[in-house]
Amino acid sequence: MKWFRQWAQKSPWILHYNAGSCNGCDIEILAALGPDYDLERFGVLNRGNPKQSDIFLVTGPVTYRSRERLVELYTQIPEPKVVVAMGACTATGGVFRGMYNVEDGIDTYIPVDVYIPGCAPSPQLLIDGMAKALEIWVQKSRDIEKPHRLFGGIRKTLHYLDRRTMAQTLAQSKEKEPQ
Amino acid sequence: MSDTKTVQIPLGSQHIALLEPVAFTFQTQNERIIAVDADVGFVHRGVERACASTFTFDQVATVVARVCGLCAITHSTSYVLAVEELLGVSMTPRIAYLRMLMVELDRIHSHMLCLAHTAENAGFEALFMQIMHEREIVMRLQESITGNRVQFDYVTIGGVNRDIDAMVAAHVDSELSRLREKIEHLYGLFDTNITLSRRYQGIGVLSLEDAMKLNALGPIARASGLAIDVRSQTSTFPYHEVGYAIQTHTAGDIDARNRVRLAEIFNSIEMSQNIVRNIPEGEIIQKVRGKPNGQAIVRIEAPRGEIFYLVRGSGNKILDRVRIKTPTFSTIPAMIRTFEGSMYADAPAILASFDPCMSCTAK
Repeated sequence: MKWFRQWAQKSPWILHYNAGSCNGCDIEILAALGPDYDLERFGVLNRGNPKQSDIFLVTGPVTYRSRERLVELYTQIPEPKVVVAMGACTATGGVFRGMYNVEDGIDTYIPVDVYIPGCAPSPQLLIDGMAKALEIWVQKSRDIEKPHRLFGGIRKTLHYLDRRTMAQTLAQSKEKEPQ
Repeated sequence: MSDTKTVQIPLGSQHIALLEPVAFTFQTQNERIIAVDADVGFVHRGVERACASTFTFDQVATVVARVCGLCAITHSTSYVLAVEELLGVSMTPRIAYLRMLMVELDRIHSHMLCLAHTAENAGFEALFMQIMHEREIVMRLQESITGNRVQFDYVTIGGVNRDIDAMVAAHVDSELSRLREKIEHLYGLFDTNITLSRRYQGIGVLSLEDAMKLNALGPIARASGLAIDVRSQTSTFPYHEVGYAIQTHTAGDIDARNRVRLAEIFNSIEMSQNIVRNIPEGEIIQKVRGKPNGQAIVRIEAPRGEIFYLVRGSGNKILDRVRIKTPTFSTIPAMIRTFEGSMYADAPAILASFDPCMSCTAK
């Protein structure tokens, strides 16, 4: 299986949530999913279910009523997950910053991995951001699998896991690991 | 179990069929909807308040454009027209033509998005892809004229921000001719395809009486046979010069709404071509002095119906009141009436055929 792993790629499904956006970013997402920009070639599909999704694509400054739903959706996505903030108002509040019903960007509520600038970002920028999100997602998946890969299997069954062996295995794996 | 048991089905606020957060609660009996409750306030941001407290009157055009990304140009145009009325400025023919061109291009791409979304929600993914592909022609034209695909802050107080030269005008003309052929093909598809007719004809009917009684607007009212259009009622823009014709249908179902939208796309393409062929000479921006004092009301036909702006100022930099009334807000009662009596499985398609814009509604 080791040889297959280097070609094996998973398809990241996205969950799109509009947290008070003006629709400009949302129609650009639809345009990017369409055939001209074809985000689907990376395996990206828009699925409405948070439990099947890997990438959380948020648009809009967080409004007062959407913040609970935002956090709820974030917690329902299984690990590893990547959060992409699309648009200027998602990053800082943008033109809506300081309005009485706006919470000035999503990073006050959930951790963000990729910010896509612009009002509205072009589909090319969105594709660029998604490619970045994919890299982070692959790295996060590897990090989750790492303890099992290094210390699982026969070592775990035969109980020779002491601190010294673990440190040695980690050092060896760092030399081997292609970064 | 009796037949009359009522089941409550929630739709939203986050759902795959929805572009924006809106929550519906359907009361159903045997899959037939008997009552609907709609909650539209998820995206309320407080734009009206900020326009009258934080921003000065020359900044507000940029802010109100962010009320809605789909009809951004109609929002900023209505606001700018209201302020120009207060400042005593009238548009020169070239400015009026350039603004009209962008409003019509915006209408084309908004209607195409609605058609694509209706097709997707009815389960026709391939048609969604096809329409989105053809919609890119209009998006590229908008980029070549204004510099951005959506949220182009094209209209400013006194004029427009970018001029159009002969090369761009010729490009717009030829690209729109190409688009017309594609839409003709699409019209044939909507006419003859059996899957589409099964999914659309006779579904979600809004009668003429209901449309009149419940204040339906825009393509929805025109699909029910109610001939209302701000473009024919007002003389803000010279629509009669460029070949405007009202498009109506009588059936009032999803199919009729799609056909009205397709017919309006044809009409808008014709108007845009006439505009770029006969564009008058002149400056694109006028000198404007003073601060708005008094009250002005402007009505413009947005892609979804009539948009209404009230601007009140008292000679200060910051306005006293900006009131925005958007078409979807008026259409919600008609939408709820249409849901009642239809099957639950048709709900997403009916919803998309109304083309609701929640960020317009909640502001």
